[in-house]
Amino acid sequence: MLQLNYMFINMTKFINLSKYPFTIFSSLIILLFAVSASVSAQNIEEGEKLYKANCTACHQIDSKLIGPALRGVSDKYSEEWLIKWIKNSAEMIAAGDPDAIAIWEEYNKSPMTAFPYFSDDDVKNILAYIEQAPEKQAVVATTSVDGGAIVVEDQTSDYVILTIAIVLLLVIAGLWKIKNTLKEVAGEESEDLFSSIITLVNAFFARKSIVTLTVFIILGFGVNSAWNLMLGVGVTKGYAPEQPIAYSHKLHSGINGIDCNYCHHSARHGKSAAIPSANVCMNCHTYINEGPSGKAEIQKIYDAVGFDPEKGQYIQGYEQKPIKWVRIHNLPDHAYFNHSQHVVAGGLECQDCHGAIEEMEVVEQHAELTMGWCIDCHRQTEVKVADNDYYEEMHAKFKENHPGEAFNVEAIGGLECGKCHH
Amino acid sequence: MTKQKKYWKGLSELANDPLVDKLKENEFIEEIPVDDFLGDDKNLSETSTSRRDFLKFLGFSTAAATLAACETPIIKSIPYVVKPEEITPGVANWYASTFYDGNDFANILVKTREGRPIFIKGNDLPSSSPNARVISSVLSLYDSNRLKGAMKNGESVTWSDADTDITTRLSNVEGDVVVLTNTIISPTTQAIIEEFGKKYAVKHVQYDAISVQGMLDANKESFGQRVIPTYHLDKADVIVSFGADFLGSWLSTSLEKQYIANRNPKSGKMSRHFQIETNMSLSGSNADIRIPVKPSEKLNLLENLFDTLNGNSTANDKIKDIVAELTSAKGKSLVICDSNDKAIQIMVNAINDILGNYGKTIDMGQPSLLKAGDDNAVAQLIKDMNDGKVGALIMSGVNPSYTLADAEAFNAGLKKVSLTISTALSMDETSTNVEYVCPDRHYLESWGDAKATPNQVAFIQPTIQPLFDSRQIQESLLVWSGDDTEYYTYLKNYWRSKVSWSSSLHDGIAELSADALSLSSFAANVKSVLSQAQGLELALYQSNSIGDGSQANNPWLQELPDPITRSCWDNYLTISATTARENGLSNWNISDGSLNGDMVRLTVGDVVLENIPVLIQPGQAIGTLGLALGYGRTASGKVGNGVGVNAYPLVLNNSYTSSDVKIEKVEGEHGFASVQLHHTMMGRDLIKETTLNEYLENPKSGNKPLLYDTHLGKLAPDQIDLWQAHDHETGHFWNLGINLTSCTGCNSCVVACHSENNVPVVGKEEVRKSRDMHWLRIDRYYSSDMTKEIAEEEGIGAVSKFKAMEIPSENPDVAFQPVMCQHCNHAPCETVCPVAATTHSAEGLNHMTYNRCVGTRYCANNCPYKVRRFNWFNYAENDAFDYNMNDDLGKMVLNPDVTVRARGVMEKCSMCIQMIQKTKLDAKRDGRNIVDNEAQTACSSACPTGAITFGDANNQSHSVTQMVEDDRSYQLLDHLNTKNSVFYQTKIRNRKS
Repeated sequence: MLQLNYMFINMTKFINLSKYPFTIFSSLIILLFAVSASVSAQNIEEGEKLYKANCTACHQIDSKLIGPALRGVSDKYSEEWLIKWIKNSAEMIAAGDPDAIAIWEEYNKSPMTAFPYFSDDDVKNILAYIEQAPEKQAVVATTSVDGGAIVVEDQTSDYVILTIAIVLLLVIAGLWKIKNTLKEVAGEESEDLFSSIITLVNAFFARKSIVTLTVFIILGFGVNSAWNLMLGVGVTKGYAPEQPIAYSHKLHSGINGIDCNYCHHSARHGKSAAIPSANVCMNCHTYINEGPSGKAEIQKIYDAVGFDPEKGQYIQGYEQKPIKWVRIHNLPDHAYFNHSQHVVAGGLECQDCHGAIEEMEVVEQHAELTMGWCIDCHRQTEVKVADNDYYEEMHAKFKENHPGEAFNVEAIGGLECGKCHH
Repeated sequence: MTKQKKYWKGLSELANDPLVDKLKENEFIEEIPVDDFLGDDKNLSETSTSRRDFLKFLGFSTAAATLAACETPIIKSIPYVVKPEEITPGVANWYASTFYDGNDFANILVKTREGRPIFIKGNDLPSSSPNARVISSVLSLYDSNRLKGAMKNGESVTWSDADTDITTRLSNVEGDVVVLTNTIISPTTQAIIEEFGKKYAVKHVQYDAISVQGMLDANKESFGQRVIPTYHLDKADVIVSFGADFLGSWLSTSLEKQYIANRNPKSGKMSRHFQIETNMSLSGSNADIRIPVKPSEKLNLLENLFDTLNGNSTANDKIKDIVAELTSAKGKSLVICDSNDKAIQIMVNAINDILGNYGKTIDMGQPSLLKAGDDNAVAQLIKDMNDGKVGALIMSGVNPSYTLADAEAFNAGLKKVSLTISTALSMDETSTNVEYVCPDRHYLESWGDAKATPNQVAFIQPTIQPLFDSRQIQESLLVWSGDDTEYYTYLKNYWRSKVSWSSSLHDGIAELSADALSLSSFAANVKSVLSQAQGLELALYQSNSIGDGSQANNPWLQELPDPITRSCWDNYLTISATTARENGLSNWNISDGSLNGDMVRLTVGDVVLENIPVLIQPGQAIGTLGLALGYGRTASGKVGNGVGVNAYPLVLNNSYTSSDVKIEKVEGEHGFASVQLHHTMMGRDLIKETTLNEYLENPKSGNKPLLYDTHLGKLAPDQIDLWQAHDHETGHFWNLGINLTSCTGCNSCVVACHSENNVPVVGKEEVRKSRDMHWLRIDRYYSSDMTKEIAEEEGIGAVSKFKAMEIPSENPDVAFQPVMCQHCNHAPCETVCPVAATTHSAEGLNHMTYNRCVGTRYCANNCPYKVRRFNWFNYAENDAFDYNMNDDLGKMVLNPDVTVRARGVMEKCSMCIQMIQKTKLDAKRDGRNIVDNEAQTACSSACPTGAITFGDANNQSHSVTQMVEDDRSYQLLDHLNTKNSVFYQTKIRNRKS
């Protein structure tokens, strides 16, 4: 049965960006009425919001991006100069400010975006945040930690079983020893381990009914496990291979709230959801060259497309190298599946089949992708007929010819072999 | 006394055959090469590998292989680095383009998937629709025989080296520089050749492999313009064709669409079509009245017609009706002739002039520019070459070493030209004889333009990145002229001022304002064309699939059965039964049913062709032979080489007919790959037909409903039912309607089906075993002189009646019937499948699930229509079937939405369910109903005449609904009551009786 109780991505996360103008506006109002001009915790928080909304495209605290690293900027320049610069740097350059010209020259004469709508207090808040911004923590490669953890866990369980087995053997040996000792005490002839086993086995084989029963039980277990084994052939639920880039859906989709369709846009148009091409990554990663795990993973995109993050430009004449992702969801060639059918016409969410992808650090196959799994869903899912003229007549006719029956995918031929196998 | 008996093992032992003695001593006569695989004794004794070690290795490798096989393979998914904007994975793009190879012209739409062209269909324009060869050309793109780069004397050479050498030598050339091409209809190419000509004093010679010189010259003399006219068959009420197979390969445009436009019985009017011809052609088989004649008699009849129309003679009995009908349809008639003789064509022009057809059914003002070859210039060129007057020869779009009758003279001349360049795509017969091969691009990789008529230009745009290191001929000429403009820029600059560039590319065509050609009124000296030919006469023709032979290496075309003879992978002498009997020739079926025939030595003038198979062809004029051109290629590639015999050497004096031909039976027999072994319907009404007059009186004529006697009285089959009916009212009910009156048997649907559904090619041997895999076939039936009625009248017994009914008439009526899976709603196949691999859909389709099929073949056995095909072998990646599915390049043509079937499963027409599903999904996503003609199958989209109509019979707005409900509609073998989803409409001929 298809589990529908997955974690929905909160839709508001998708529109975070569009919320910012409002955030800025509200923070301005708050600032206008702020009694204290001193740098309070509240102001650092405001500064952080403004910084993240406006500055991160070109700046980082501790390293150079398109613009310079910002830590210690308040020490280098006066606050008054910085306010003027941030509000309109071009004006300062035109006016011939030597410091301004020096920076402009240093950064290939690319001017900094002007922020004339910032109040002085906004700038001060940003500067306050920059000064107190936390140092970057050393981040351990998350994937390898996770992978390692699984291995250790497996080993632990094996050890436990082994230990129990050894203990049990020891107990058996101890009991046998005690029994023998007791026999010796009682003056009976002690028997060795081997002959006692023989006696037991002989007693077992003497009773045909027990032998038959045992054979049947063993056979039953055997057939059952063979059946399960065969059913599992080719089912790779939980398959989570290591990818060439340690791409985190949790970070992109979950934390940053990027809509699935942004990268997998063809899911709405064609049969394939498609792994995005590297140029889609570059839409954001032209500017973001460092993630929580450092620069190494993002550098792999640059290696693919030929981008120089230092200069912020593409390398001319670079031989591009496609990224060879490991395919996780593999349908056999004889099964036809169309994403747009399910996503657009069927109105399904990605998570219905792919699980809580926004929580996955490493993507794993959530569903079995067996035919039973497909048709279970087709039997239960009702067709979304609302506002779709395509279904109108069909649905009316169905209600007339099949009163009381559910208009589910099965009713429109969703179980017919040739629809998926052609 | 007992005597010791001695038993011989065979007669040869009795005869003391030395071989038998040897065999007694030693089972194998030749020594077994044990040493070869065991090495010499020394090596063997020194080796450290013992028998036990060997077993260990064996055990280890078996175990290792087993273990390795347990692991699920890791599949990589590699996205684009930078995705082209227009490509969405899994979604097809369509591009408008144009096909022109000198022999065929068509405006087309090309379907591409992830940047690969996979399917071609017509761009819905009135001008021209693609025939089987054009649709198949998508496979020729992926021909592994294509050249991978420039060649010099058979060795690879870089383009820059080649260019430097060629440019230098062109500048210092002694003698003429000649550019030999097919007819150039591209204005830019023409301009580039002119530009090239300015630099090197070039002679441009145009050469058509299939010449229409006679017609061009006749029009020059008659009207002052060396062109071929545009015909309007839709305006002609009487069509008289003297051998011109205008539904087949006559001229370069397909005329089916306009022919059928005037043959709609519903309108109450149909054109009357007379065909006077030698071979049984497609046009002849569609004609209302067909008159089989010898080529010489054809000319005599033509002259008789001319004289009669002029009032100088009385009409021959054979053409009495023709004269009467022509005279009463002045200005609404058309007389055409296939002859390549100027005098004959002048006479045809004169006849049309008398009938007032010019400006009405024949348009000389906006002529067709598709043929402009000049055979005299070619003859002069060959002479000049042999005289050493030609210094450099550049060839494009031609293969003269194969298509010239006197190829030897051409090849000898080539040796005397110091610089020879071919731009062929592969090492064909000509390329192997030249110094440089600078491969042109396939048209699907190219830019280009094509002006088929003066008032319209069509564009060619690339639909795939060039597969190999090739260069368009236009670009080569520009480079050699010292012009470094890219051809694309050249083309764009040329047209930008004249047409709207982007929208013209999108549409595929642009209208041009071109004044009609100024013509002088008909003025020519009509000479007598009477012929005194003797003996057997030969008429050469182009087969429906191979055409002029340029695509001979295309396996789809080779396996496409000829619509008339129903044979493939061959050419053969067609001969009438009478002439065959006179010459002691016959055809027969061998034990497995396949067709074999005698072979002959054919002598035409000085040319002798050996071992030509003879196929008995009903309708062939007595005393004549037919032979298809385009076969017998020697350097076309692995598929086309050595298939059939080359008939081009028989084109003597540019004439496609010869007289006084001799045939002589030779030893041996030939196996034909024939897919239909029976000729007649044996009195059954598989094809129901009637005449126009009867139809107009009673629309149900010829379509008598079948009634069964039951205890409830007479009932129609669908009222007697054992089975529970499916609910076909809810949702879609897909039906296919086939109008037999509109079907000309052109084969476009067959090859479109092949292309869309990944139908494998199986090769001649398998076709002979009736293992061809076509999902759609076009059955061809001949009428017989014996019918049930005649037998009853004459009191002929059952056995002799049926024997006689098997034999087709000497000049039979021909009818075509496309047969695919009939998608029975009470399907006999479904009830016998033990694993439910073939099941029924509520939408009226019979599904075939390959992955469920275990190959019992019960379904095929139970299918009354014989439309199920069994995969006896893996046809993909199998060296035994070395066609396109056996190489990586050829596999690029496969449709990714359709499974490639494995060995041991049954397959059949799915009614292109992948296309239906796509249409449905588009409508669902847009939230709308499916509109008429939106849902298509490959065959319906390929049909040039609209004979095949597909749609939802539950939707009154779909045209298929009217077809199904029409009075002419019937189901094939309706007495079986299988309730088919495929409907046929009675064939109507426009005959008086």
